[in-house]
Amino acid sequence: MTITAVETWVEAPLRKFVEEARTVLGLLLHPSGQVVAQFGFARAVDVMSACALAAAIHASSGELGKQLEGKAFRGLHHPGRDRQLYLAEAATSRGAFIFLTVFDQESSFGLVRMYFDTFCKDLAAAAPPMSHQPEVVLEDRFEHELNRNLAALFGRG
Amino acid sequence: MSLVNYATREITCKIVYYGPGRSGKTTNLHYIYGQVPEDRKGKMVSLATQTDRTLFFDFLPLDLGTISGFTTKFQLYTVPGQVYYQTTRKLVLQGADGVVFVADSQARQLQENIESLQDLHSNLAEQGIEARSVPLVLQYNKQDLPRDLVLTPAELNDALNFRGVPEFGADALHGPGVFETLRSISELVLKRLSAPVR
Repeated sequence: MTITAVETWVEAPLRKFVEEARTVLGLLLHPSGQVVAQFGFARAVDVMSACALAAAIHASSGELGKQLEGKAFRGLHHPGRDRQLYLAEAATSRGAFIFLTVFDQESSFGLVRMYFDTFCKDLAAAAPPMSHQPEVVLEDRFEHELNRNLAALFGRG
Repeated sequence: MSLVNYATREITCKIVYYGPGRSGKTTNLHYIYGQVPEDRKGKMVSLATQTDRTLFFDFLPLDLGTISGFTTKFQLYTVPGQVYYQTTRKLVLQGADGVVFVADSQARQLQENIESLQDLHSNLAEQGIEARSVPLVLQYNKQDLPRDLVLTPAELNDALNFRGVPEFGADALHGPGVFETLRSISELVLKRLSAPVR
């Protein structure tokens, strides 16, 4: 099982969750839709679409919860014929993350929820303090490469 | 905030196309989708009504290739333009690294453009974001319509571009201005990663 993580500190809690809960797909993302870690997805672009949709589902069901009950729903469970999904929020000192996981007959909703609670605790414990120091990532003169890549993208290269 | 993965050397940025209803936000994404090779784009996701009006958002992931040694990916979103989708616009705007404001150049749409721009500023402020700090590009779409129906870019600048941000006349249906707009917002967003504001 391969886990890809943008931030390395999420990898160990996620690996533990996957092994214990026996789910087939998983996505940890920012509420803005940016992926933080994933397992089980074949193509990077599918991950991005799944993130955008998961963030949308989370945001809209949260708003619906606020309107119905005065507070956001804690989680969302969709049972399918062969596969089920569970979507919920995990709070850490680095802000809230959304977790989406898909499971089949190898697991169960009860099991997933139980291990999700542990996952939230592990994630919160693993989260390093937030650094507010911005870093220089790109070189000063990146525009040439950007323009070349965009031109190629639009068939103008 | 752009997401930087130092381990895999990847940058992911979120760009939101904002503007009043029927200004051409989705058309921008459709044009981009149609131009970009298969291996450089993901599936375009549209959460729309039966009449193809954007209900929640459109989403298009793009692979811009390698810049300064980083694989650079952009996630393009649109918001629903109609006034009553306010909550949805706020949700889609969360975490945006840059905004393209697509204005409808038709003279009779000027008030809608102004209100939508005010709506953008107020939604950013609600999220604790100073609007002036967010990379912004204006696109004056539908410049292909008959001259007596549309305002010129200079007239639209007077009404909308009080920040003096980059602005482009466009015909998103056929392409002029779409590429230039995307290039400009990409540059503004990535500039923050080459010289972050301290």
